[in-house]
Amino acid sequence: MAEKILKKDDIGRLYSELEKEYKFYAPTKVKGNIAFKKISNAEEIELEYLNSKVPPKDVLFPQKETIFEYRYEGKDVIIEERKDLEDKLLIFGVRLCDAYSFKLLEDFFASGDFQDDIFLKKRENATIIGIGCNSPRQSCFCTSVGGHPFQKESTDVFLSDLGDTYLVEAISEKGESLLKKLSWLTDAKKADLTKSKELAKQAEEALTTKFDFDLVTKVLDENFEHPVWQEISESCIGCSSCTFLCPTCTCFDVIDENDEYNNRGRRIRIWDTCQSCLYTLETSGHNPRPAKIQRCRNRIMHKFSYYPSNYDCLGCVGCGRCITACPVNNELRLIIDKILEIEEKSGEKVSA
Amino acid sequence: MVKFMGLETENKEIENNLREIARELLKEKKVDVIIGYKKGTLPLLSQPIIIDSEEDIDKLIWNNLCYVNLAKYLVPRVPRFVDPEKGNLTVGVVSKGCVGRALIHLASENKINLDEIKIIGIPCNGVVNRQRIEMEIGEKEILEVSVLGNNIIVKGKNFEKEFPFDEYMNDLCKVCKIRKPPLVSKVPDLCVGECEEYSNIVDEFTDIEEFDSKTPKEKWQHISEALSVCTRCYACREACPMCYCNLCFVDQNKPVWFGKTTDLPDIIVYHLIRAMHMAGRCVACGACSLVCPMGIDLNIINRKLEKIVKERFDFTSGLDPDALPPMVNFKMEDAQEFMLEED
Repeated sequence: MAEKILKKDDIGRLYSELEKEYKFYAPTKVKGNIAFKKISNAEEIELEYLNSKVPPKDVLFPQKETIFEYRYEGKDVIIEERKDLEDKLLIFGVRLCDAYSFKLLEDFFASGDFQDDIFLKKRENATIIGIGCNSPRQSCFCTSVGGHPFQKESTDVFLSDLGDTYLVEAISEKGESLLKKLSWLTDAKKADLTKSKELAKQAEEALTTKFDFDLVTKVLDENFEHPVWQEISESCIGCSSCTFLCPTCTCFDVIDENDEYNNRGRRIRIWDTCQSCLYTLETSGHNPRPAKIQRCRNRIMHKFSYYPSNYDCLGCVGCGRCITACPVNNELRLIIDKILEIEEKSGEKVSA
Repeated sequence: MVKFMGLETENKEIENNLREIARELLKEKKVDVIIGYKKGTLPLLSQPIIIDSEEDIDKLIWNNLCYVNLAKYLVPRVPRFVDPEKGNLTVGVVSKGCVGRALIHLASENKINLDEIKIIGIPCNGVVNRQRIEMEIGEKEILEVSVLGNNIIVKGKNFEKEFPFDEYMNDLCKVCKIRKPPLVSKVPDLCVGECEEYSNIVDEFTDIEEFDSKTPKEKWQHISEALSVCTRCYACREACPMCYCNLCFVDQNKPVWFGKTTDLPDIIVYHLIRAMHMAGRCVACGACSLVCPMGIDLNIINRKLEKIVKERFDFTSGLDPDALPPMVNFKMEDAQEFMLEED
């Protein structure tokens, strides 16, 4: 399908035509921060944003999610499964790093013998409208993890902000059928395509943070017990800002909440974090990750060593949220520098 | 004290003095290590730094971005503060008033031995409310922060904005009465640098008058709204020097006392019960709010607690290592009427 043009003034029209069919999620301002919420009015959409505080991951994998509810009827227990999983979801205006995170999440929830039906069903029913990132931040590094500020592949429909209009491209079949519903979109001109390409190039050039992750993975694999971990974890206060704002963190905890006075209850899952003292605490009381050093190491190893060996890709999309979120400024760029220093030093020894 | 200097000159002077003291302490081996602040890699942040050699002294800084309460790293001690052979090292702690208070209060709870630390006292001139600035700048990237006169200058691509420091200071700093660490008469050489003797702290609590004038229902509304975006990452707890429990009430799972979800009732229960544990212990450093990734302002709760403790028990935390905090100390004549009140 040929590329289309959407006028910025027509976002309202797009919303009103699609909200009947889809649960429409979009970036909107909540208490001063951008968040992806189900909106009820096109005015709420904030497309001129850097990136959301909490990633749109929480649309498909919310911080708290009911797996099923149950109630007692006499001696019987009636399980009530989720009924909303067939709803069609539209996640509008997602940055490309976050759009790519949906692929990583899918890899995780679909891997091995246990398929996560809840996530996968929602993923299947979700259409993602991505938006090119015209001005990446200093903390962004998507090109180092195989992404790009204009990487279209992880979206169904791709928008690029040309100023007064958006260039609209259908990327997947889902995207094509969605665009068919918006027959009023005008055709794009050659100049629009050129402009979009130009913006993509500018965005790529604006990225200043770059890492050689092949080398990082190699160094990590060889240095699990290296004293550098002591140094890295020293100033960490063990808060979970980095993991709770991460678009690729998938750990969760399952809890049964029993409301015995009302003969009912629910099984829920909530986000867990490897920075928590409960994370790998065993029933015996033993914890294989008893201190900050093991917890900090786990986060880095998981993203940049375990992911490459388990899924053949990095477990990071380069959004830089952990960099800006760390309250003690113990940020990823410094951590990676310290890890790479190990290699530099050992190189010096060899050449000496 | 009359201030003629601009903020920048004032900061420079504090920084130079603290470096000089730190250098002397290391040189004369009065401390083994020093913990202080270092320039951050992001415009509105600083980094805690631990140094043990004179070479690194010039990394120590003071600016108005030093949010973290360094007492946090003493309870429990980070590994570098303990020598495998010698045991606990003597630690010099770069201390604004609230860091000094935290250390002294922790000593009253037997968590710190004051003989093993040196308070490097600095006359704190307040820290910036970074979340307020970030939110006012909105969806634009802040690339540079500097100080000119008494203004904080925030720059980014295609914008520059001035924020008067007096207004954009953290709310707790605006009403702070203990800017320099308190002197402890029992341990006269505990404090090096600028410390002060405090007798009776007079506080009018004018900053929470508006909150106090609300009805209980309005107060509940205010707190519920502020907390509604909490993700329960517990950064507030982890940054708090008084939150040192091995296992927090909210993490206890045999049995589970409190709901773990981000449903509003569970969020409120966490914050209010944590607040209860802070009564008479909070040293008003504001670290909890300044580290919150969602920018939640917990200062109202902290100030309200401080006010109650001051009015009912005439107690100010962190001034005297021998004074037991009111919630640890039972007296027959303790005021109890609050149990019957609605606020």
